[in-house]
Formats: sequence, C-alpha cells, structure tokens
Amino acid sequence: MAIIQQIKVPLIAVNDTTLTVVSIPFEHAAFVKKGDVILVFETSKTTYDALAETDGYISYLCEEDNDYDVNVVVGSIYSLKEEVPVAAAMPKPLVTAIRKEHFTEQAGSWEGDTLFSPAALQLIQAHQLNASLFTGFDFVSKADVEQKLSIKKTGIDKQATAKKSTNVLPADITRVIVEKLSSNKKREIEYLSAVQSTGLTSTINTTVETEGIFVHINQSLQYLKNSLLPVIVYETSRLLQQYKQLNAYFTGDAIAFYNEVNIGFAIDIDKGLKVLRVNGAPQKSIGEIEECIMTLSNKYLDDTLQIEDLSDISFTITDLSSEGVSFFKPLVNMMNSAILGVSSIDEKLQRCVLSVTFDHRVTEGKLVAQFLRELKERLESYQSKYHPHVNQNISCFKCFKLLKDDLSDVGFTKCITPKGAEAYICQSCLKGF
Amino acid sequence: MSLFSEGKLNGTVHTCVGQEFSALAFAGQLKKKDFVFSNHRCHGHYIAFTGDVKGLLAELLGKASGTCGGIGSSQHLCRDNFFSNGIQGGIVPVAAGYALGNKLMNNGAIGLVYIGDGTLGEGALYETMNIISKWEIPLLIVCENNFYAQSTPQSVNLAGDIRARADAFGIKTFSGHTSAPAKLMDDAKTAIDFVRDNNKPCFFLVETFRLNPHSKGDDDRSAEEIQGYRDKDYLHIFSKEYDGYYNNYMESISKEVDDMVSHIFAEAELPIEAYYQEENIKCSNNWLPANPVNKRQVELLNNFFKEQMVANKKMIFLGEDILSPYGGAFKVARDLSALAPGQVFSTPISESAITGISNGLALNGFKPFAEIMFGDFVTLAFDQIVNHASKFHHIFNKKVNCPVVIRTPMGGHRGYGPTHSQTLDKFLIGIDNVKTIAINTFFDPAVVYHQILKEQHPVIVIENKTDYGKKILHHQAVNFVYEMNEDVYPVVKVRPAVSAPDITIVAYGGMADMVNNLLSAVFLETDLKPELIVPSLISALPVDIIKQSVEITGRLVVIEEGSAYAGIGAELLAQVLEQIDSKIIARRIAAYPVPIPAVKTLEQTVLPDRTRILQELKAHFA
Repeated sequence: MAIIQQIKVPLIAVNDTTLTVVSIPFEHAAFVKKGDVILVFETSKTTYDALAETDGYISYLCEEDNDYDVNVVVGSIYSLKEEVPVAAAMPKPLVTAIRKEHFTEQAGSWEGDTLFSPAALQLIQAHQLNASLFTGFDFVSKADVEQKLSIKKTGIDKQATAKKSTNVLPADITRVIVEKLSSNKKREIEYLSAVQSTGLTSTINTTVETEGIFVHINQSLQYLKNSLLPVIVYETSRLLQQYKQLNAYFTGDAIAFYNEVNIGFAIDIDKGLKVLRVNGAPQKSIGEIEECIMTLSNKYLDDTLQIEDLSDISFTITDLSSEGVSFFKPLVNMMNSAILGVSSIDEKLQRCVLSVTFDHRVTEGKLVAQFLRELKERLESYQSKYHPHVNQNISCFKCFKLLKDDLSDVGFTKCITPKGAEAYICQSCLKGF
Repeated sequence: MSLFSEGKLNGTVHTCVGQEFSALAFAGQLKKKDFVFSNHRCHGHYIAFTGDVKGLLAELLGKASGTCGGIGSSQHLCRDNFFSNGIQGGIVPVAAGYALGNKLMNNGAIGLVYIGDGTLGEGALYETMNIISKWEIPLLIVCENNFYAQSTPQSVNLAGDIRARADAFGIKTFSGHTSAPAKLMDDAKTAIDFVRDNNKPCFFLVETFRLNPHSKGDDDRSAEEIQGYRDKDYLHIFSKEYDGYYNNYMESISKEVDDMVSHIFAEAELPIEAYYQEENIKCSNNWLPANPVNKRQVELLNNFFKEQMVANKKMIFLGEDILSPYGGAFKVARDLSALAPGQVFSTPISESAITGISNGLALNGFKPFAEIMFGDFVTLAFDQIVNHASKFHHIFNKKVNCPVVIRTPMGGHRGYGPTHSQTLDKFLIGIDNVKTIAINTFFDPAVVYHQILKEQHPVIVIENKTDYGKKILHHQAVNFVYEMNEDVYPVVKVRPAVSAPDITIVAYGGMADMVNNLLSAVFLETDLKPELIVPSLISALPVDIIKQSVEITGRLVVIEEGSAYAGIGAELLAQVLEQIDSKIIARRIAAYPVPIPAVKTLEQTVLPDRTRILQELKAHFA
C-alpha cells in the first residue's frame, strides 16, 4: 500500500473553477484519523472541509492562501509514514498572462501611418472620438480604443488588468497599515465588479407608505414581527415572473433569462457578507418564507450552510432596514441583472425607501420603474385601512381573551386603560363579572 | 555462447562458426588502407581485418574498453576502417560511398562489403550494384551463401541465380567455397587485385555452411544436415587429421581467450555521462534587422553551391537529373556539373543508394549534399537516415562522424498532387541526432548553408517549391519590423513596430512566406496585432523565444503545411505548455489528414491557405 487517499480540489459550484486553500490543519507527514478535517477550501460562496476518508499519514501538495484548479491533487494520505515524500512537488498556483509594461511605454512613438481595425473604427465612430487621439500608434485595435475610453477589456486582457489594478496604488508602510485582502473579499470585489465595472448600472428609488402595514403582516409572522423582508420576498418573487429581464443576466453577447425565480437575501452578521437562497419563494406563503429566512440565518450563524443555500440566485434583496438607513444604492451581483435594497422605515413619516439597481445592458429604467411601482402598490395593500374587517386577534387587556374566542357575539369595546393606553375590553370584563 | 548461457553476455550474437575461411580469404588479405563493411555476422570479418580479439570480447561483454564502448555490441563494430551494422542491405550503398571517396582521393584503397544470401532480397543492394558498375567504384561485394536466411531455407525465398544478379549489372563475378580454403584464398586474392588494379567493382559468391544456429538457439535444421556440413568443414577435417597439433593449438587459444575474458569481467562499463548529456539550448535574444535581397531563393542557392564547390573539393553534389544543362528539377544544381565535374554525380532513381552513398562519402571525410528530387521521395531514403546516418556517431561510440546533408523540396500549392506535394517534416524531426532545417524567404539561404558546411553530423534541409522563385524579403508588411537573431540558424521575428502583440504566430518554411503576406489581414480581420516567429532549425524549436512572446500575447497559433497530428505544432505546443506559467489560448492550423488533391480548389482547402488561415484565426481568437 502506498497512497490510500488523494485529495483533489472539489467542484462545488459550477462557477468556481478554482478554490482557495484557506487552512491546512495538520503538519506535513502528520498522522490523521478518518473523519479529520484535513484541508479547508474557500469557494466564492462558502468554505468546504475536506475530510480524511481513512487513517494515515498526510502529505500536502498545496500552500495556504493559494488558488488551485478544480481536480488538481493537493494532498495525499499514505498508509506508512516512511512513504510520505519529504518534499512533495507542489502544483503551480494559478498565474495569469501579464502584459509587459515596456510595450505600453513605447506606444505613441510611431511616426508612420496608423492602421485601424474595423472594430476599432466602429467604436471610435460610436463614441465620436477624434482619430488624432491615436497619433503615434502603429496599430489601433478595439482594445486600444477601449483603453482610451477607460473601458476594461474582456477575456485574458481583463484578467491581466484586474491583476494589475490590485497593485496600482503605492502603500508606504511607515504611514499606513496594509492589511491583505481576504480571498472572500477579493471574490466579492470580483463578483461585484462583473456588472458594476461596466459603468452601465443605474438605481431607481421609490417610497412605500407603511402606516398600519404590520397590523396584518404580523399576523402571518412568528419571529420577524415588524419586518418587511418576508413580505417583500413574497411579493417580489411573484412579480419577477412578469418582469423576466430582472431575473436574468448579461452574458457578454446575449441575455440569459433564468427559468426559475430564486430570490437571495443578503446577510452580514460578523461572518462575512453572504447571499442566501430562499428556495421556491414563488410557491411559498409569507409564513413559509419567514421560516426559510430564519432557518438559513441560523445555518449562517452556525456555519452549516450548504452550497445549495448559496447557489443559483437569480435576484438579490438586501435589507438594511435594521440599520437606520434612509436610502442606499445596492450593487448588482454577478450573473444577476438587478438588486432590491430595503431601507429603514421612517417612523415619523411612516414610509420606507425601496431601491433597485439594475444592469442597463439587460433592462432599462422604465421597466424597473414599473416594477417598483407595482411592488409598492402590492406592499401598501397590506395597510390596515384597506382591510375594514376586524382583526380577530384583538385581545382584552384585562383577561387576554381573544376576540375570535369570544362567544358573546357582541364584540369588544375600545377603551382607555387605567394607565392611559388605548386598548380593548371584552363585554364580560366591562360588565364586571 | 557459454557466456550468453551464463547471463554474462547481454543481447545477442551471430557466430560465424563454419564460415571462418570467408573472413580470412577476403578481410584477411586486404591492405590496411582498405576498408571492410560487414553485417550482423561480423565477428570473423572483424578479427580477420583488425586482429582485435580483446576489443571484440570486451564489446560483447559490454565494457567501456570494447571496440565501441559496449554501445554497439555484436552487430555494430568499428575500428580502423572496419564498420558493421545490423541492417540488411543498408551497408552496401554506404560501402559504395566510402569506396567512391577512396576513388576520388585516388589513394589506391579498395573496399569490401560482406552480405549474406538473405540480403539478396533487399532493394538497396540492386540500386547500389547498378551504380557501382556504372560509376566504376572499386568495391568488392562478398556474398556469403550459407543457404539459410535466419531459419528459412533458400529454396523458399530466393528466385533465379545469385551470380547472374551481378552479371546482369555488368559486374565481374567469382565464386568459391569455404570447404576448399586454399583455392578460396587464391581466388579471393585475384578478385581483390581485380578491384584494385581496374578500379572496378567485383562480386564474389562464397558458398559456406553455418554450423551454429542463426543466433543463439534458433535452429530448426536437422542434426543430420548440420553433421553433413561439419563433415565438409575444413577445420573439422583438420582437427581429425592433425588432432595433436590442433588440440595443442586449441588449448593455447582457449587459455588465452579465457584469461582475456576473466580480465575483461573486472573492467568498468561506460558511464551514461560519456554517452549522453542533456543539452540546454538557449536562443540568442539579440535581434538585428532582416534585410531584403533582390535575388530569388533558387539563384542564391545555386550561387552558394557554385562558389563553394569550386573552392572545396570535398563537397560532393549527388541527385537525380542534376547534370547540365538540366540542372535538377528545381535548378538548384544549374551549371554545377560544368564547374565542378568531378564532384557532381547524377544518379539513377535510387533514393536509398543516393543517401547511402552520401553516408559513405561523409564517413570517409567528404561533405556530400544529396538532393532528393521531391520531399515525398525521402521515405525511400528513410532507412539510410534513421538506421545509418543518425546512428553511426553513437553506435560506434563517437569514433566517427557522418556529416551528410540531405536536401529536398517539400510543399504543395503547385497542383502536383498526392505524391509530389507533401510536407513530411514531422517524420524528420522525430529522428534523433539529425538536424532538420527549413529555409525560408526571410534571409539568404546561404547563411544556413555556410553553417551546414561546418556541421559534423547529419543535416536535412527542407526547401519549399513555391519559395524557390521568390526574392528574399520582397514583401514587408507595413507597420511591422523584421528582425533575425544571432543564432547560427537564425530565428526571424516580425513584430508590430511599437505596440505589444496580441497573438503569436509560428510558421516556418513555405508557410512562413504565406503568413507574412497575411499579417495586415490578420490584424484587420481579427482585431489582434500579430507577431510572427519563423524558426529555421525545426528539429530544435526556439521555445524560449516563442515562450517570451506568448507570455505577452497569451495566444499562440502554429501554422504548418503538414497535417497536425503528432506534428511540429504539437511538439511546439507541448514544449511551450511545459514551460509557461500562464494560461494561454493555443491552436494549430495544418493540412487536413488526407492525400493532397491535385485539383486546385481542393488543394487550396486541404492545405492551409489565406482564406482558411484567416477563418480559423477569427473563429478561435477574435
């Protein structure tokens, strides 16, 4: 026997072709037992523990904080300690092609004619640029024009640019403290950059009247009393079935429409920003949605989220209502076309602001405005003034009997309590026996 | 044989027990300045010519002191004008070339080549007999007829008469038998003198009997048959008639050999460092301007040979149809035979013999340039390249060099069809220890040929039919800079004048010229700024230069005129990917894997042409 288990980088989510090794719990050649966590990977969305499938001696072929391709062997477990290689050959961490700086320095020094590619000319015309901007160029490609327009490139060039941009600003360590970005934060930047970096996003806000809104909503809620989130998820998931462009994303040369609505809600309670999926929201009641939000939040706090809790989100809602926020501009996530932000309720004005940031390459302001107006109308319809029927959950302030349990068929009487508060009193308590 | 049984002798042996007098009669009666080429059953020939018993035994036992350091063993021996090789028939044209060299030097030396009756099935023999007769080359062919080809009796495989074969080529023939050694000695001397005195070839058929198996134990002959041979064997008869003398002599010889073997056992084997060391080749990174030459490539090639052959009498030019006024199918040899008549040999259609004779000339100190009229025909010379030229230096433990040069035009786009249009370079670069060069239209081919003159080992030069008529660097794409590095076989780089390239294109030979004409179109069609790298030494590609370029562009395409599978593009991509850390997009554009059609429209599709190259670049990179 020699190698009894090979540890490969797992494919956890389709979009994550590389994973970061964030923790190597054992020393090289240490003894591990079946079930021990032998490596911790980080995906774009969560962490993943690789477990020992057997007892043995571990040999690591990776280093912390490096990214590795899916399926690359990053470790092995050997049956005997003497079989563990002293210095194992490391697979190469991923590096991307880097443009040589000196070429860009030379640009502009050409004294001959400039040759423009058709794609470059098209872009120049579209932006009504002056061709003299490219004096001194030997060749002008679309990428050169985009550079002039400060539009980031795609494909390999985009990667190279992204790589370089992380090192653009100098950091004098005598004057600043440099804290390395976590892999999670890097991915967050990358994922948010995907849509925002084009500069083609816009945000539209609307206000929702909230007076008396919770009178009825709270009847459906057990835990999240006075929270708009469950009902917003409920209504949005239904509306998105009509507004397909907001349940879609831009592929580069096409728009991909999701077949299903999978709403995600953003959460950040000291364990990093995550977006959790409310599975099958269009088929769930408000109570079921609340239940789902609670379950997911608990899993988040307990670090027991599964990859399916974080994947395939087609529309995101970010709720900052508990933070006293007047309004804000949410950022569209990768492979989404829009995001809904929920601000805090202004208690004096009895209203809150809803904001939708959207990808202009997929949709446009008018459609988003319609969506917001319809969502606003749906939410405001929960206000008590639109519901003249009596709330059956009214209770007598003296005996706590519920109206629905009252058999007198006379009803309760509105009253002022001895403490001066408005309340209801049942006929029995009012009559004094 | 007992050493083999004891596991002390590696590989195989082919003993000549019963055939000894053939060795003595011919190899034993030559002069020191003469030479011998032999075959797999060469021990007796070797001892008879060189007297080097210890060198042979040490070779068989795989010791460094062996005649070839233990590399060649039984079948591959080399010392003092003695050469043997295990390929049947292939040594005959090599021997003819060596003998031609002696004739050209007029040194009075003759050559002897031993073949067996089994070799009579090989075509190279007949190609060579035709040439040695026509060119009057002083070579004695001794055919040892032991009536078996390995285990197959002659009656199964051989038609006609053996001597009549040589007679048909106008070669004087003799015959004899090892069972009559005195007469054989006399007749052999007569044949040797005939070759030396008349400067002509001769064929001697020696009938003989092999008393041992072909090799070690592969003998299906009956005991009676072998006993019949033994009864006729002169040594056997002698041992019976003069047993006292014979036994004393045998005892003395056996003791001498036993002592020798026990000493040899204690000797060391050749260390691998003495045989092979990996070379770390780095290309020059000094780039000089490449300049146009207002002459056609074929004119420059012709001028090179005209100038050099007049100045250098060791240069020999061989090929089909090369005499004046025709001067070869593509006119590279125009006027050469008039200017250097003793150095130009127009050959029959015999690619194996042309190449073998060139190999022999190269072994004898000449610088032969063999022209294979079309690259497609190089397959007919393959045995001479793969089993002879490429190996001589190593199997003879670096005692000899074989600086042969084989030139051949390849490539299509002329409508010559399936057997006159192929680019077979991928087969050639797979031959170890042979340099393969593809010249191009970016610089004077004389630069390459001057370096080839200095080479001590085999070189194959691929020229391109469509390039012959083109002037050097006649077309220069606007806004590109043309440079070549300082390597002895220069690498050409065509890069955007100031901006960074977006795509690295590697092309060579005729395809490089086509791509050069496409550079502007590549930019306009794909929006990518191309950098073209043109290697000339394609058997050791300039991977470091290409890697540098790809590190900038992230895109690599290799365009070749041969088909892609296991081709030069495959080799290059493999090497680049082994060395590069970046992710790159890579692609090969090559001929479709079918015979090249003669009809123009299909030929233009099967071979990469302007339209297809641009289409594929757009599809995969734009």
